Amino acid sequence: MKTFLAGLALLAVTTTAALAADDFPKKEIQGVIQWGAGGSTDTVMRAVTPHAAEALGGSIVMQNKTGGVGAIALRYVQSQKADGYTLLMGAENPQMYKVLGLGSEDYNDMIPINVLARGVPMFVANNDAPYSTMSEFVDYAKAHPGEVRVGSTGPGGLTSIVLAMLTSQVDIEFTRVPYDGDGPALTALQGGALDVMPVVLGAGIEAVKAGRMKVIGLVDVAENPLLPGVEPITKSFPGFANYLPWGPFFGVFVKKGTPAPVVEKLQAAFAEGAQNPDFQKLMKDRGFIVMSLAGDQAMEFLDSYRSTSSWLVHDAGFAKKSPEEFGIPKP
Amino acid sequence: METLLAFLTIFTQPELLLLVGLGTFAGVYVGAIPGLSVTMAVSILISFTFSWPVYPAIALMIGIYMGGVYGGSRTAILLNIPGAPSAIATAMDGYPMAQRGEAGEAIGITTVMSFLGGFVGIAVLALAAPYVSDFALTFQPRDYMLLAVLGILLVGSLSSGSLIKGIFAGALGLVIGCVGMDPLTFDERFTFGVPLLQSGISFIAVMIGMFGVSEALLQLHHLQAPVVRQKIDRIVPHWSSLRRHLPLSLQSSTIGVLIGALPGTGGDIAALMAYDHAKRVTRNPSRSFGTGAIEGLVAPESANNAAVGGAFIPMMTLGIPGDAVTAIMIGALYIHGLNPGPMLMVDQPGMFWFIVGALVMANVFILIFGLTGIRIFTKIVEIPRAFLIPLILLLSIVGAYAVNNAVTDVYWMLGFGLLGYFMRHYGYPLGPVILGVILSRLLDDNWRRAIISERGDLGAFFGGLFSSPLSTVLLLVIVAIFVSQTPLPRLLAARLHRHRAA
Repeated sequence: MKTFLAGLALLAVTTTAALAADDFPKKEIQGVIQWGAGGSTDTVMRAVTPHAAEALGGSIVMQNKTGGVGAIALRYVQSQKADGYTLLMGAENPQMYKVLGLGSEDYNDMIPINVLARGVPMFVANNDAPYSTMSEFVDYAKAHPGEVRVGSTGPGGLTSIVLAMLTSQVDIEFTRVPYDGDGPALTALQGGALDVMPVVLGAGIEAVKAGRMKVIGLVDVAENPLLPGVEPITKSFPGFANYLPWGPFFGVFVKKGTPAPVVEKLQAAFAEGAQNPDFQKLMKDRGFIVMSLAGDQAMEFLDSYRSTSSWLVHDAGFAKKSPEEFGIPKP
Repeated sequence: METLLAFLTIFTQPELLLLVGLGTFAGVYVGAIPGLSVTMAVSILISFTFSWPVYPAIALMIGIYMGGVYGGSRTAILLNIPGAPSAIATAMDGYPMAQRGEAGEAIGITTVMSFLGGFVGIAVLALAAPYVSDFALTFQPRDYMLLAVLGILLVGSLSSGSLIKGIFAGALGLVIGCVGMDPLTFDERFTFGVPLLQSGISFIAVMIGMFGVSEALLQLHHLQAPVVRQKIDRIVPHWSSLRRHLPLSLQSSTIGVLIGALPGTGGDIAALMAYDHAKRVTRNPSRSFGTGAIEGLVAPESANNAAVGGAFIPMMTLGIPGDAVTAIMIGALYIHGLNPGPMLMVDQPGMFWFIVGALVMANVFILIFGLTGIRIFTKIVEIPRAFLIPLILLLSIVGAYAVNNAVTDVYWMLGFGLLGYFMRHYGYPLGPVILGVILSRLLDDNWRRAIISERGDLGAFFGGLFSSPLSTVLLLVIVAIFVSQTPLPRLLAARLHRHRAA
């Protein structure tokens, strides 16, 4: 009798769950974008979401919730009900929150709906700089310690991690000038206030094409179709292969505990949205590699990003807490 | 020929024309309501116009942008509540005019000057964009810092009455701007370990509170006072009056275009600088500044609309946003399959000329919408206070919430409203507080960038001040303004005079 009742209860639970998924979405879904309007996360999310909403047969209203390097948005989504009606639309930053002491939760505490795409970092330099390749740059920086002004976007940002990769290979010193974002830093680079800047390919590609700055290194294991003739950094610095491929990424996440059928529906919708040719073209033009990962594949990617970056930051000495504290394995 | 055709696209397609008109109309209202910002409206439009072709989408956004910058002046004049940060200076002389029953005239002159300023901005964009953007790029962190110092000197112009109280208010603003996670190092400043303070204090919340709520509270003192009847017979300004103010308008517009074209500074700073400029160059203002001088409207309103054209300059030539709104428009261009950057003008000059055309049209619509319907608008001032005050409070709360969709901002807004009320009560000017908040980041970030770039070498920093012509000029301007605003030169002149007489 007991088993029968339990079975009945289980049946009831599953049917309600299935029913909940059947008519999902019943209402508007809220998409919370971690970064400000006009930034790359914002652009990517606003480009893919309408296609996903169409596939889902519902509407997703997006709003920007900025602050705390994106932690405010993550905390907000985690404070909502786990019903799939609040999506976090973010970039790579949360994977560093724990070691940088910016938050106690990251993407591993959420369910990935879709890890949409990743970017490829590159080193760009002012046109007047007396070096045009990574080896020349490293030689110059060694000969002039502390003289090269490199733009930086704060600890845990792309520049800090790529520079940590470089300084783990060669012993050089820079002057790091802080900017609040790669946009302002690249502007400063063109005006001569900076000499070198590690930046995601998409942010600088148009200025490079126009000859306003030059690429001196591509932080990847293979050549990039957008930058023909620029050799991957692993050619001159094979040690980089330990960390690569690595790059900033964009993803959509929900709170843990969201019913599996709802998660599956959202995953299917965003997977379909990511296939849209307009979105694919946008990403290709900006040099992003569309991945559209979900489930285990997504978790694997997120884990790998977190362990590489966390340990780099830790070894470079600007982590507030050791990755070991959070059980983040060494890469 | 193709250029001309692209420029004329907007005029030949009724649908696009309609969208610009619609956008401008909506923009005037979005701009007029404190807290409903153009930035917000344009980012909502990105999703709304997602499936549209690119021209109509951009046409609508440009209309909202132009209209919104202008619309901020409406509530500044009528209620003493700037609808947007760029209208703060407008309130200083606009509201006194409304109190004299001259709201119609104030709105009239504001409209025409916005139109003029807008055209100067567009003309510079169309004719000299590449040169201006190259010039803007030469600004180093040191120069931005000098610009901020120049801005701080405006405290003098913005404080009616006690200068000491003005300086106090300005310093308070600078401190408010520092609160939160330092954007350069991610260290916390003035947060006292409170997570709520981490993301800083929303500048818009401070503005709405200080101007909106404090005004509403202040009005409570005058509940029984009769409402001011508005004269609305003279809306379109006289030709002679326009001609008299034309030089000032053109000078202010130049300030507006340049400040607008610099990435990192925008219409808000431009309008305040223009107001300060007007105060210094006008020998015989129609009334003394702060009591309803027309010149006090001409300068900021020409400048903030000229800044719109200016903001498009780095956006179109380099893909670098000139302000928050153009940053979002760059995103919109990406989404519509274009690649904004230095190559846009080479690959798709049509887009550039289409935007210029749309801006021209939006500017014309401002003149049309601005000069009609004033009658209804001025009625706002004649609403009984029992209705007006709750309405102001309601709009303030909605506006503060809407900035970041955060209730915290509403609390901040109310808190600063109370503070603002007491400050006004005791004669502390509020303009400098906002000025301080605006300039805080500009000064702080760029000073640190400048000194870090010199590797902490103060000598090299000062050397840079004199080795770069731009820095030297900015420094000289600062010195000149400082000298002309302190009593020192007047004392010297008086002594010289006495000497000669003797």
